[in-house]
Amino acid sequence: MYALADIWYQSVRHLRTQLRMPVWIFVNLFQPMVWLVLFTQVFKSLSDMPGLGGVSYLTFLAPGIVVMTVLFGSAWAGMGLLRDIDMGILSKMLATPVSRVSIILSRVFASMVVLVVQALIILLVAVIMGVDIAAGIPGVLLIIVLVSLLGLGFAAFSNGLAITLKRMEPLIGIINFVALPTVFMSSTMMAPDLLPGWLDTVRHFNPVDYAVVGVRGLVLTGYVWSDLWRSLTVLSGWAALGALFGLLMFRRKGE
Amino acid sequence: MSVIATYQLTKVFPGGVRAVDGVDFEVNAGEIFGFLGPNGAGKTTTSKMVNTLIQPTSGTALISGFDIRKDPGEVRSRIGYVGQDVGVDEYATGRENLTLYGRFYRLGGKTIKQRVNELFELVDLIGYEDKMVSTYSGGMRKRLDIAMGLIHQPDVIFLDEPTVGLDPQTRVHVWDYIRDLAKVMGVTIFLTTHYMEEADHLADRIAIIDRGKIMAIGTPAELKQSISGDAVTLSPGAGKANESQDFISRAEAALSGQAFVIRTQVMDGGLAVYVEHGESAVPEIMRLLSSHGIEVGTISVSRPSLDDVFLKYTGRTIRAEEGTPTTYAEVQRKRSRRQ
Ligand SMILES: Nc1ncnc2c1ncn2[C@@H]1O[C@H](COP(=O)(O)OP(=O)(O)O)[C@@H](O)[C@H]1O
Ligand SMILES: [Mg+2]
Repeated sequence: MYALADIWYQSVRHLRTQLRMPVWIFVNLFQPMVWLVLFTQVFKSLSDMPGLGGVSYLTFLAPGIVVMTVLFGSAWAGMGLLRDIDMGILSKMLATPVSRVSIILSRVFASMVVLVVQALIILLVAVIMGVDIAAGIPGVLLIIVLVSLLGLGFAAFSNGLAITLKRMEPLIGIINFVALPTVFMSSTMMAPDLLPGWLDTVRHFNPVDYAVVGVRGLVLTGYVWSDLWRSLTVLSGWAALGALFGLLMFRRKGE
Repeated sequence: MSVIATYQLTKVFPGGVRAVDGVDFEVNAGEIFGFLGPNGAGKTTTSKMVNTLIQPTSGTALISGFDIRKDPGEVRSRIGYVGQDVGVDEYATGRENLTLYGRFYRLGGKTIKQRVNELFELVDLIGYEDKMVSTYSGGMRKRLDIAMGLIHQPDVIFLDEPTVGLDPQTRVHVWDYIRDLAKVMGVTIFLTTHYMEEADHLADRIAIIDRGKIMAIGTPAELKQSISGDAVTLSPGAGKANESQDFISRAEAALSGQAFVIRTQVMDGGLAVYVEHGESAVPEIMRLLSSHGIEVGTISVSRPSLDDVFLKYTGRTIRAEEGTPTTYAEVQRKRSRRQ
């Protein structure tokens, strides 16, 4: 029970910290919108591309932008923990009876709250720009579940890496190395049918792709339960794996 | 009953560094216990083990009767840890920092409110409760840091080098708070320091630690008494540091057999000669040295101080060991190097 309370109080701390940085709010709210506008402009001619199933590229891409925003946001989640290590905040906390797991879990939870808000804003902007979400309002809930699971996994991995590496530079390196390629090794930008064969194979090992397929299905066609179940199952596994990694690293390196 | 008792507490870091080597000591309820030693002596490592932050390699410690290895939870709820780094959250207010710690220690909302007010008064931060910590000065941060370790009214609070990085004036200020704590709250204080004056000024009892081993324990007065007589310190003088080795051995040879010399002690760059009466011994020392053709650059007389105590038990002066950060900027730089 104390663990839940600890997660709550620390999540409040993390969210408060972020809300107090106006630049941070601005960047995080506007960056996804910039992407939404920029990508659809840059790839305008792709609207005529076959394999999109007759929808506009904006409609095709919006789910991808949601997933990408969640991926990038959660991948950086470990940076805050690094600051706590650096400032001596973590060791001071560890000398109190605070629940150990709550330290990682509160960070992951706070990241997810932010990501959910971002995802909702992107969807809202997309709808305003003319995207029709086929699955309707309940579909939006499912979208939130899908991206939350994806974000949970990445945020937990990021925190686990932070506590292992204990330094900013290697963490930044790894995030930059992983984030963008993961997007391109999925059907985020491109219809699966149009991907070269090897990428079409590789994407099946990429959690990002399962989130994209799930979210895109809900936006374009509605409830394709076979796809949805697969996405939900794989992403739950991904989230569990991330959480396990994060907690294990924290236990091993927490001293 | 002793609040802290360690039993052959030992830490060997990977790579074989024996940072703490079979340490035994007891700290009594209500006392300020000074843990004095140069940089790298093993003070922080000892403190972290007793605070359940790192596992001992062997040996153990009891806090109010609870074993740090078997009952870390019980230990944590009875200690306050104020580390070498100021572990406060800059992007929160003082009140938010304190309140969060109240939650960590499982206090109720009402109790927290009341304690927070009391603590702000105790550390003289009234009026700054709802200001962001990023606007606090170094001394204010340290005081908040200390207050955060007190919110649950612990049996003992650990202060690891509480005045490193503070300017001399602020340092004296923080000393006053520490003494008040002991008096007002009756809390036992375990104080780690490499500053002689700090230990001398604050501690009821002092343990001298060097290279992971405890060299002496006692009250400052007892420790000073263990050094008999005044210290007459001789050196070859400025610009002759390269001759000091030769100077020391010759001076030692000339003086050590003399009846009025209690003992001699080699130190960095010079020789300390302990005698009954410093002032009257100086002419005699000068006469002896010049008859041996030894030229003295500087000579000084001092009553026994903790420096002499340290010298006696470790064979070194603590100042020569330094390379110690003295300004906030230096501490920051040191931290960014992250050793
Ligand atoms: N995590 C660590 N890994 C390896 N060696 C360490 C570690 N922490 C401290 N040491 C070494 O242990 C010794 C004691 O360090 P420390 O307890 O920090 O000394 P003090 O606090 O007295 O300055 C030093 O030689 C230091 O280099
Ligand atoms: Mg230290």
